[in-house]
Amino acid sequence: MSQATSPVVEMTGITIEFPGVKALDGVDFRLFPGEVHALMGENGAGKSTLIKVLTGVYQAGAGRIVVDGVERTFSGTDEAQEAGISTVYQEVNLVGNLSVAENVMLGHEPRTGPFISWRAMRRAAREYLARLHVDVDPGAELSSLSVAVQQLCAIARATVVDAKVLILDEPTSSLQKNEVDELFAVVRELKERGVAILFVSHFLDQVYEISDRMTVLRNGRLVGEYLTPELPRLELVSKMIGRAEGELGSIEARAHRVAESAHDGTPRVRAVGLGKHGRVEPFDLELFPGQIVGLVGLLGSGRTEAARLIYGADRPDSGELELDGKRVRLPHPNAALRHDVAFSSEDRKREGIIGDLTVRENIALAVQTVRGVWRRVPKKEIDEIVDRFMEALNIHPRNPAMLLKNLSGGNQQKVLLARWLATSPKVLVLDEPTRGIDVGAKAEVQRLVIELADRGMSVLFISSEFEEVLRVSERVRIVRDRVVADELVNGPELTSQVLVERIAQTPEKGAVA
Amino acid sequence: MTTLTSPTSTTPRWRTALRRATDRRYMPVAGSVLTLVLMLVVGEMRYGGSSGFLTPRLVSNLLVDNSYLLVLAIGMTFVIITGGIDLSVGAVVALTGLVIATLLPMGLPLPVVLLVAVLIGSAMGLIIGVMVQVFDIQPFIASLGVMFLARGLANVVSVNSLAITDEGFASLAAWNVTFGEKANQFRLNAAMLVALVLLIVGFYLLHYTRFGRTVYGVGVGDAGNAIDLMGLRAGRTVLWVYVISGTCAGIAGILFALYTKSGYNLTGIGMELDAIAAVVIGGTILTGGGGYILGTAVGVMVYGLIQVLISREGLGEAWWTKIFIGAVLLVFVIVQRFLTARRR
Repeated sequence: MSQATSPVVEMTGITIEFPGVKALDGVDFRLFPGEVHALMGENGAGKSTLIKVLTGVYQAGAGRIVVDGVERTFSGTDEAQEAGISTVYQEVNLVGNLSVAENVMLGHEPRTGPFISWRAMRRAAREYLARLHVDVDPGAELSSLSVAVQQLCAIARATVVDAKVLILDEPTSSLQKNEVDELFAVVRELKERGVAILFVSHFLDQVYEISDRMTVLRNGRLVGEYLTPELPRLELVSKMIGRAEGELGSIEARAHRVAESAHDGTPRVRAVGLGKHGRVEPFDLELFPGQIVGLVGLLGSGRTEAARLIYGADRPDSGELELDGKRVRLPHPNAALRHDVAFSSEDRKREGIIGDLTVRENIALAVQTVRGVWRRVPKKEIDEIVDRFMEALNIHPRNPAMLLKNLSGGNQQKVLLARWLATSPKVLVLDEPTRGIDVGAKAEVQRLVIELADRGMSVLFISSEFEEVLRVSERVRIVRDRVVADELVNGPELTSQVLVERIAQTPEKGAVA
Repeated sequence: MTTLTSPTSTTPRWRTALRRATDRRYMPVAGSVLTLVLMLVVGEMRYGGSSGFLTPRLVSNLLVDNSYLLVLAIGMTFVIITGGIDLSVGAVVALTGLVIATLLPMGLPLPVVLLVAVLIGSAMGLIIGVMVQVFDIQPFIASLGVMFLARGLANVVSVNSLAITDEGFASLAAWNVTFGEKANQFRLNAAMLVALVLLIVGFYLLHYTRFGRTVYGVGVGDAGNAIDLMGLRAGRTVLWVYVISGTCAGIAGILFALYTKSGYNLTGIGMELDAIAAVVIGGTILTGGGGYILGTAVGVMVYGLIQVLISREGLGEAWWTKIFIGAVLLVFVIVQRFLTARRR
């Protein structure tokens, strides 16, 4: 890509605030015609927000957007589209109850007078789809098609406008390998025609395959802009997670619980070929009583999805799950609870706490679930449980009548832990149990997890903080691009540095190493 | 890519046609057409007699007796497809009837009075639309509020039944053209004409304009998110469907006044529910996103036919009609449930 050409899009100093969060803070971004530019960063780094600013969904609080040399402010997606910016969003943002033709053409539909010409619309839609080598009946209802075909319809829609800029936000997350190849062929074709393409994907392989340039974001801030061939994977990953390589290596993993072959007999949890299409590839996993296994990987790599299969929050479409050597099916989280498997979600706010209930009620919730809705749990018993766990977990303030939303993040997390511990589970799946809580609370949660394991509980520990995983886990599984890969035994030689390297590895190399 | 492509060129034309015909989008409407046919068959068997049951006169009477309901149901179809509901229309019918009955004796010209009546309906719809769209209030609550408002205003106008004696109005109500004799007689009156014209307008608006397709898009249930991202304006559309429904209610108020030649503050209680029932029986999905204007017309016919069958059966009491409507409605809602469940 020659630098001589001027950028088609130039965003400078973009800042946008949502209540309580600065989603973007002075981010610069530019896009040249005829290049594929990858926008990189973990979930929540601000990629989608930046895209939505560019497409007119959000209005930036500060900053300039220059498109084709003209400064623009987009107050709606239609204005951005008129400026030649076309988008395929992360989730398929189409209308399922309308026909394929309408989804491709709506807004640009051929009309005679004010009336839509259906015949011409279907013909045009068929043509646009044919360019992507998709042959479906344009009259069919969109939701009757597979997600992959829907995704291709969304891309066909984006090509209807004579786009100067095409934004692809995770376009491959629901596609199979061969479909991805097909998509990339189309992307290259568009690139030849001089279209600037903004590409977002969690799949590093794909990013390196298709992109010419990358911009890395972290926590709403710009890390930098790089030419793809000049940025090795390892460096990219450490830029995304925000720790210098040297620093990563220097953090000492402590309290190694060396995994001797003490664990024999039946594993408490055994997954064989467990997988769900489009979420996580089939994987094997063993978890023995008293063992802590860490799952590490980038956000969105499939680690949460793997945990959800074990807990029954999602139904696997392949493989088997054994608990204590017995094959079980967990169609629902409730079933998992009955088998003494408890799961604490990574999304504390949305899937965990009920802020408008008291601490006491939040703790009692799971106990009640296990008992069944109709069986009253005696007040005395609840009081006892609540007192015991508030004491044991050191929940502050020690007032069970307080509304949970008024507690600090760390204490909310401890209440959540108490909720699950109150059901006395044998298996505890913790997804990001220390996210967004302060250092002191983190240490307490970690200490607690180790104590629980010492008393025989099996713990699956998921975290983005490698040091934390290394501190508590006996074994570590790397999750990369939806594949639960290499099992590593924790020891002095296993450092954050090693984990970063492993995550950055291509699967091919991983197989050799 | 072979998995994605279905070689349509080699697929026989009839097979494509068959698949289109059995598309699940048409299933609810197919159900209502089937119900209509079934009822006509039952009617033919029981009361066929020498001249037959399904006669031009029956169709004519159905349309004359239910033209106001058809107009209400057309407006309601737009609202329900967006996933909303409009409970105010029955009260608006009462209000416009009374306004007509009070304004005409004051000497205002008939066209002005009728225009005012329609605009009252539009204004009521606009209030609901603004509450739903701008203030993000649930359609149920917003339209319930306007229902009380319109009913209250009707009581302010008059608490007595006011006869409409205006000559121009009377001649408009009496105007009709008849074709044929006896059982083959088909009587066309003004109300029926208005309803049929609105049916055609509604049909083109919903199925052949960008606005109409946006109505469906909003009904998909993501708060207009996808539609907005497509560069269409969901908010404006939601506002408009309530204005359409209100306007239809104003027009239906006129038609009902023509039908009864009076205005009364207690008319149209529960009429909104009749309209909703007709729309749902006509195959429109109550949760939004699917339905057809012509289906609604079929739904109104089914509704009218139930009344005819009940009275022919000699079950004079009105509640038998309600019982049958209720039963048919429940069946249709269950059918819809299965159809929408498969969608997910």
